[in-house]
Formats: sequence, C-alpha cells, structure tokens
Amino acid sequence: MDLSAVQAALSDKSYSTIAPLCDDLLLQAASRGSTTDEWPYAVHLLSHLYVNDLNSARFFWKSLPQEVKDARPELAAVWRIGQCLWNREYAGVYTAAQGFEWGPELADFITAFLERYRQRIFQLLTKAYSTISIADVVHFMGMSEDDATNYAVQNGWSLDAATKMLTVNKPKAQTNQKLDASKLQRLTECVFHLEH
Amino acid sequence: MDVEGEVPAAAAAAVANGLGSGGEEASPAPVSAEQLDVEAYAAQYSGRTRLARLLFVADRCGVEPMQLEALRMAYDEIKRGEDVQLHRDVAARIKGRLGPRYGLDQAWVDNVSRRADQRKEKLENELNGYRTNLIKESIRMGYNDIGDFFYAHGQLSDAFKSYIRTRDYCTTSKHIVQMCMNVILVSIELGQFAHVSNYVNKAEQTPDSLDPIIVAKLRAAAGLAYLETKKYKLAARKFVDTGIELGNNYSEVIAPQDVAVYGALCALASFDRSDLKSKVIDNINFRNFLELVPEVRELVNDFYASRYGSCLGHLEKLKPNLLLDIHLREHVETLYMDIRHKAIIQYTLPFISVDLNTMATAFKTSVSMLEKELAALITDNKIQARIDSHNKILYARHADQRNATFQRVLQTGNDFERDVKSMLLRANLLKYDYNQRNGPRKM
Amino acid sequence: MESLEALVAHIQGLSGSPEEVAHLHSLLKQADFDSLRAHAATLVPFLAQLSPETHSLGYLYLLEACATSAANLTDFGGGDFLVTVADFLTKCSADQIRLAPDKFLNVCRVLKDQVMQLNMPIRGIAPLRAAVRKIQASPEQLTPVHGDYLLLCLLAKQYKAGLSVLEDDIFDVDQPKDLFLYCYYGGMIYIGLKKFPKALELLHNAVTAPMSSLNAITVEAYKKYILVSLIQNGQVPSFPKYTSATAQRNLKNQVQIYIDLSTSYANGRYTDLETFVHSNAAIFQSHNNLGLVKQVLSSMYKRNIQRLTQTYLTLSLEDIARSVQLDTPRDAEMHVLRMIEDGEIHATINQKDGMVSFHEDPEQYKSVDMVDHIDSSIQRLTALSKKLASIDGNMSCDPAYLMKTGRDRGRFDYDDFDTVPHKYF
Repeated sequence: MDLSAVQAALSDKSYSTIAPLCDDLLLQAASRGSTTDEWPYAVHLLSHLYVNDLNSARFFWKSLPQEVKDARPELAAVWRIGQCLWNREYAGVYTAAQGFEWGPELADFITAFLERYRQRIFQLLTKAYSTISIADVVHFMGMSEDDATNYAVQNGWSLDAATKMLTVNKPKAQTNQKLDASKLQRLTECVFHLEH
Repeated sequence: MDVEGEVPAAAAAAVANGLGSGGEEASPAPVSAEQLDVEAYAAQYSGRTRLARLLFVADRCGVEPMQLEALRMAYDEIKRGEDVQLHRDVAARIKGRLGPRYGLDQAWVDNVSRRADQRKEKLENELNGYRTNLIKESIRMGYNDIGDFFYAHGQLSDAFKSYIRTRDYCTTSKHIVQMCMNVILVSIELGQFAHVSNYVNKAEQTPDSLDPIIVAKLRAAAGLAYLETKKYKLAARKFVDTGIELGNNYSEVIAPQDVAVYGALCALASFDRSDLKSKVIDNINFRNFLELVPEVRELVNDFYASRYGSCLGHLEKLKPNLLLDIHLREHVETLYMDIRHKAIIQYTLPFISVDLNTMATAFKTSVSMLEKELAALITDNKIQARIDSHNKILYARHADQRNATFQRVLQTGNDFERDVKSMLLRANLLKYDYNQRNGPRKM
Repeated sequence: MESLEALVAHIQGLSGSPEEVAHLHSLLKQADFDSLRAHAATLVPFLAQLSPETHSLGYLYLLEACATSAANLTDFGGGDFLVTVADFLTKCSADQIRLAPDKFLNVCRVLKDQVMQLNMPIRGIAPLRAAVRKIQASPEQLTPVHGDYLLLCLLAKQYKAGLSVLEDDIFDVDQPKDLFLYCYYGGMIYIGLKKFPKALELLHNAVTAPMSSLNAITVEAYKKYILVSLIQNGQVPSFPKYTSATAQRNLKNQVQIYIDLSTSYANGRYTDLETFVHSNAAIFQSHNNLGLVKQVLSSMYKRNIQRLTQTYLTLSLEDIARSVQLDTPRDAEMHVLRMIEDGEIHATINQKDGMVSFHEDPEQYKSVDMVDHIDSSIQRLTALSKKLASIDGNMSCDPAYLMKTGRDRGRFDYDDFDTVPHKYF
C-alpha cells in the first residue's frame, strides 16, 4: 500500500486534500484485496472532521469492524471528537481534542483541526449573536475567560464589564461585484437561444 | 403611528377610535342586554317552526324559568294542533313542573288519534277513487291533502313523499310553485337543505313571473340553505336580495328580523369593503330589514366606519340570543371568528406600522392575545406584516420585487429542469415498453 | 473445435484494428465455451498470457467462462480471482468489451455476488465504478451495473463514492428494473448524505415511473419519499397526473402508517407526533425507516421555528420555546443557533434581552457568485431545451408516430393530412 501521498499531504499541512485522497486509496486497496492493518484510520477519520464532513466521518466509523475500533485507542479518540460535532456539543469538542495524548503523526493535525474549528465557531457566533455573555463565549470557544474576552475584543467586539456581556461587531461582508465580459457573451447567447 | 400614502376615512376613524378611551363610543346603540323575551320571540313565527323554535330555546337556554315558559307555550300550541307525538314529548320534558294542567292528556291523545285514523282513511279512499278515474287535478289535490295531513301530525317524511308525488300531476306554474313551497317547508324542518336549494331553483325556473311575495320567500329559503351548508357569502347574497314583501308572510319559516340578522352577519363575515357598502349599507331594500333590528344595523355601520371596538361589543351582547336561534346557533362561532378576523385585517391594512397596545385597546383584548391572533392571520397569509414582539409593533411587510423575482425565476428554472428530466425518463421507459411489446429487444 | 491454445493465439493475433477485432469476435462466438466452462480451472493459466488492456475482447470471453462456471471462485488457481476481475474491469478497452455487453455484464454481476458473499462489499466499488464507464455508450445511459454499484456503496457505507454515478443525468433506460433500483438506491445514498432535494428527485422518479403492476421497490421508495418530503418540505405532494394509474390506485393502501404520520405532522404539534412515532416505532424499525422517521420528528422543531420567522421580526426565546414546544429558552437558543449554522434561517440572537431578531434573506442577487449560479442554471436549461427540441424533431419524423397521429386525426379527411407536417416547422 502506497501511502506516500497521504504522508506528503500531512507534512505539507495541506489537510483538506487528505479526505478525498484517503477515500480513493482505500477503495483501490480494497479492490486489490490488500490487508488494511496499516491503514491510517485515525488520519482518515480526522480528515473528514477537518473539512466538517460529518456524514462521511460517521459512515466511515460505522463501516469499521469492531476489532479495528477496539485495537486503536487513537482512532476511538478521534471519533469522540466526531460525536461531539455530530451532537453539537460545542464545548465537548475541545475537551475531546485536548483530553488525549496524540501520537506524533496526529498531534499537528489535531492542532490544525482545533484552530480551524475555533475559527468556524467564532464566525458562527459573529453571525448568530448580537449580544452574548462572556460565559457562553468561553463555552463555545473552549478558552479561559480572559483569553476569550481578549480574542473577542481583538475582533472588534465590545465588552460591557458590568453585565459581562459582549456586543458583537459584524464585519461588513465583502462581496465581489465585478463582472467580466464573458458573462455578457453568455447572456447574448441566451437571448439568441430564446429567440430561435 | 405612521400612515402610509392616502388615508381612507376608515383608517382615520380607526386612529380616532384606537386612541380614544375605551369607554365612550360615538353612537351608543340601544342593545338589549336582558334575556330573550320568549313570548315576543315566539310571536314572530307560526306553525310548526314556532314549536320547533320554542323547544330549541327550552333545550339550550339553560335557565329554568325561561325553559318552562317556552315549554308551556309549546304545550298550549300543540294542544291546538294534532301532533300527538309532540304532545307526549313536551309533557315528558315538563315532568310535571308546571302543575297538573300541563301533564300528558291521554283523553286528548286518544281523541285526536281516533279522528286522525278516520280522516286518513277517508283521504286515502278519496285518493284511490281519483286514481281509478284518472282525474289529474283531483289526484294532485288528494296527495296535497294527504301531505298536509301528515305534516300536521308530524309525520314529516311521509308528508315529504306525498308532496313530491303531486309533481307528476301539476298542470300549471302555480301548481309547481305550490309543490315547491310545500317541499321546501318540509325539507327545512327535516334539515335537508340540498332539497331546499333544489326546489328553490325549480320554483324560480317556472316560466310564469312569480308573485313578489313568493320571490322573497324563495330568496329567504335559499339563504337559509346556503347558511346551513356554511356557504356564507352566497347566503349573504340571498338574504340581502330578499324583498321587503316578505314581511310576516313567511312566518312558518322565517321572520324578517331573522333575514336582517342572518344577512348582516354573513355579509360582515364574507363581503369585502366595497360589497359591504353597495350590497348592504346602500341597499335600500335590505335597509328596511335592518331597521327592524337596530343593534344589528348599528354594528354593520360600526364595522364599515372602522369602529371595531363598538362593533365587536354589539356582537358580544347579541351572542347569547343568537345562540338560541335554531338556524344560527351552529354558525355563530365561525361567523364571529370570521368577522373578527376581517376587522383585524382591515384595521392593519393602511399602516406601515401599528402599535399593538393601541390596537389591543381598540379590539378590547390583551396584547398577548392580539399577538396570537395576528400571528395566525400572518401565517395564513391574510396579513402581510411581521410582528416585532420585543417592541410590540406590527410592521407591514414589503416584498422586494427584484429579489422575489430572482428567487422565483431560479425556482421555476429548477422545477422545470427537474420536471423535464423526469419526463424524458418516463418517455424513454414508455418507449422501452412499446418496443418490448412490438418485437424482441435489440442490442 | 479448436484447441484453447489456438484460441488464445487468435486472441493475441487479432486484437489490433477494429476489423481484426470483429473477425476475432466471430471466431469467439463459434467457440464452444460451454465445454470450457466445465474445465474452468484450466482457463486460468491462459488468462495470464493475455493482457486485459490489449486483448480485452478475448480476455472477456475467457474470464466470463470462468466467472459463470460452477467452480468455486475464491480458491482459483492460487491467485485471487476477484483481483483478476477487478484488474480487467479497470484496464479493459471500452471499444472491445462493448462488442459483447452481455458477457461484460455477467462478469460484473459475478463480481458483485462474490464480494457480497464474502461480506466485503467495499472490494467491488472501484472495479464497478470503472465498469460503469466502460460499458456506457454515453454518460446518459443507465446500465444494469449502476444499481449493483450503488448497492455496494450502500453496504460498504461508502456513500460519497455513489455520487460519481449519481451526478450524471440519466436519460437512456433499457430495463425498467434498472431504473427502479437506481432510483431507490440512489435515493438512499442522497438520504444518507442529507441531500434531500436530490433524494426526492430520484424517489419521485421511482414512484411516478410508468408501471402496469405495483412492484416492491416502488412501495419502499414511496415510504421514503413520504418521509423525505416531510423533512424537506413539511408536506407530501399528491401524485402528479402522469403517475401511473396503478400507483395512484394502490400505493397509498400499502403505506397507511406513513400517510397517518404525515397527517399527524400536518397538525404541527410536536408532542402528538412524538407519541405517534413512539407507539409505532417497532413498525418503522421493521421497515428500516426508524432513523428517517426520527429525522422527520426533529424537523418539526425546525419547521415550526421557520414558520415563526415568517410572522415575527423579533420574538423572545421564551416565546419561541413555548410556541414550538421546547422545554427551556436555552433549548430554543440552541435550536436557533443550529439552524443559523446550517443556513436554514437568517436571525441573530440577543442574549441581553433574550430576544431573537429574524431577518429577510440577505441575498441581493448581484454578487459574482450568484451571477455564476444563475449563469450555470441558464446553461443547463438551454442545453435541456435544445435536447427537447431535438427529441421533438425526431419524434415528428418517426413514421410510427406519424402513422398513429395521422390515423387518429382524420381517417376520412385528407385536408387534415396536409396540415400535419406544417405543424412542426
């Protein structure tokens, strides 16, 4: 089994390419009837979580034989993160990710996953709240109270220390509104089609 | 309160009403809050409907003195007629509470029954005689007499059958109309309103022009049939078109006051503003009916002038008595709900924003109840607005035409794509099926 | 009969130009494979002398003979027979194998049966994916392999792999059964991936396909169609008029409990629906639909909250909880948050006041992305309408069609015949 492409992606930290890579390699390996004892299960599972593809993660986990799951505590630990994501236990994700001694292959990947997850959650909070308590930001972001407050304030949120409430600052979404000429050409074709 | 664009007089009135303190109304109407006067009520009717209505009141009023009074009047009335079964019924319901004079009178029952048997035999013999001689007009009258006999004795379905039989022996329009009127009368009491509509149509289709009183009766009967089948708008049209010639001529079915009440409530519940104005308020003919029931006239005017608080107040006061009406009872809640919804919708129509506190006062309700009613109406797409529950304000909703168009176009495109693909697939399957039946498969 | 050695020599010699291959094909057709089948084991060494890429047609004939023989395929000549098949399916020349589609389909079917027997469905996925592409004359053609491929994806829980064939639009269908299976399995894959609109499309096709008698696939598809309709749209549409009379008459009787479920759903009360689901859980479980039914149940919170956005600009979390029958305002907050995360509503939560503000869709339809989206939609529709026009054209030239319409239109009126062709120009 040639896992060099996966290894390369891991060392390149191009984590979002790993999931399709692994999916395909696994199918190829299976069709050759190769044994899959060496398969990087934990990396494969985490690669789905990294791109927030919970369905694939769930089906991957379900497809694994019990003995594979039992023999690999690291894989099971990744799945605990997956469960928290699936059940939207926002705080549980941090606990699960930080509560395991990850091997060298996975440690950086986990850190990158957490960073990405935290960013996504912060974006969600920015979108979903106009005011939110510090306690909840701590809960959602998996940070200490001071860190969470600082993080929020650095992102332009304002703090009401008396009520321990943060007012969310929503950055104006920048959308590209420039069109290129090919669109006009397409539109012409469309009108032509309608008239003929 | 922001008012958008041109303000109809009604809206201005709504503002005035909404802002005014709840107590004083522009024109307090003389609404009878006291209980139904059974005697006066019964006096509006004659024949079997008077009995039916008295018994209905007795059943539903829930007040013993009123119940007993109604039963006593019914008892006396029945004694003047020939329906022994009804006599037994009423006597049983009185249960001796009106003293010995109002018990079961077995001698009267026997006497009436004996006479009835004799009369029935005589009528049947006569009819048989006519039938052997094939005298059309006599047969018709014979069936008619038997129908009348059954009707008087409370055998309604037999009466119905006899009246229907006269149909084959009618020779003039007048006969047909008479037949129809008889069938309608019995069908109303039987609660078979499909027959009522049917025979109203038949009567109206006779070639000769009808007497205005007959026309008015037919309108009223048609209105009743629509009311009972919950077609309130059609019912309203019939009632407001009922000629004043009706007067007290149809007291065996309906009183002119009823036409006013039924017509007004159905109209309020189902007409739009302009119809309400042209077909009800400006309808000189129907105004005559409304004059008979001033509180109803007032509430119609209140509704049109957007004095909703006053209008709903009148309605509440009328409600107990309307619930004792044999035809209206089943429909009171629905009609009231519809009228209230219409009022709420009309109130909100001219505004960009409405203060819910003010509006709740105008509708004599709490803000939270009003919020619920508004939410239901918005959900049903009857009001285009959204509720700011935080600040208790209702905002009109203005659909963004441009965005809505984009959305619709994309949706239509998607639907088209999906439908065409699915259609092509089915076409190919049919082709397969066709080839399969028309020769072996080629590959 | 020629010897096997001679046959292999022919195969090796005649696999170049199309003419050679055609000649080889006629030779192969004459060969007596029935007797070969009896000695399947002896064939294997010869396979090794052939290349799947260049000698595809001959390879296919030999392979099919092995595959359809009665021999036990697992301990085949020492090697792994499944690997041989997988190799062949991946590498063979499409042009050659399409000369003998039935043999190719047999090989595919044997592969599917084998991996299922071994309880290793994942082994068949990559080979069958390749096989679909090889046997298809165009991506619009549905083959018997499609259904088997999707089934293996389902069994191996490789749902995403299923998309590779589902994303092509299918038009050419030979066997109705292929289509029913494709729609049903495809629907299940999309359900697993929670792509409900696509799932509905496929299930809808299974339910509304022309049929003269009700089949079990349609009944199962309709059950899922009802459930997914509720999750996605909150209601079940009635049958469109082109649905076969068979389905319209009989389908509902087969799925009464699902109809009852949708009736309960329409009432909009969570607790009622919950009771209904609990008391019928065993039945839904026996249909393998309990998971989906539970999604129906939880979609009701979502739908009720969405309904509130149509009615309110602001509403307190407490009122939201009360109105959709959630226990606490915090539950309501988490539901709203979840829906914002999934893009199902546009709203912001104000914790200070315990209020939620609902917004209109912020889409302005003027970003480049949106223009691209609209543009691609126009492209697809243009292509589709061109396709329609060409089919319409073909049909109006079809003699059988003209005969039929001509006959129906006016047997006695020759003027009518004149007008027929003009109509189509």
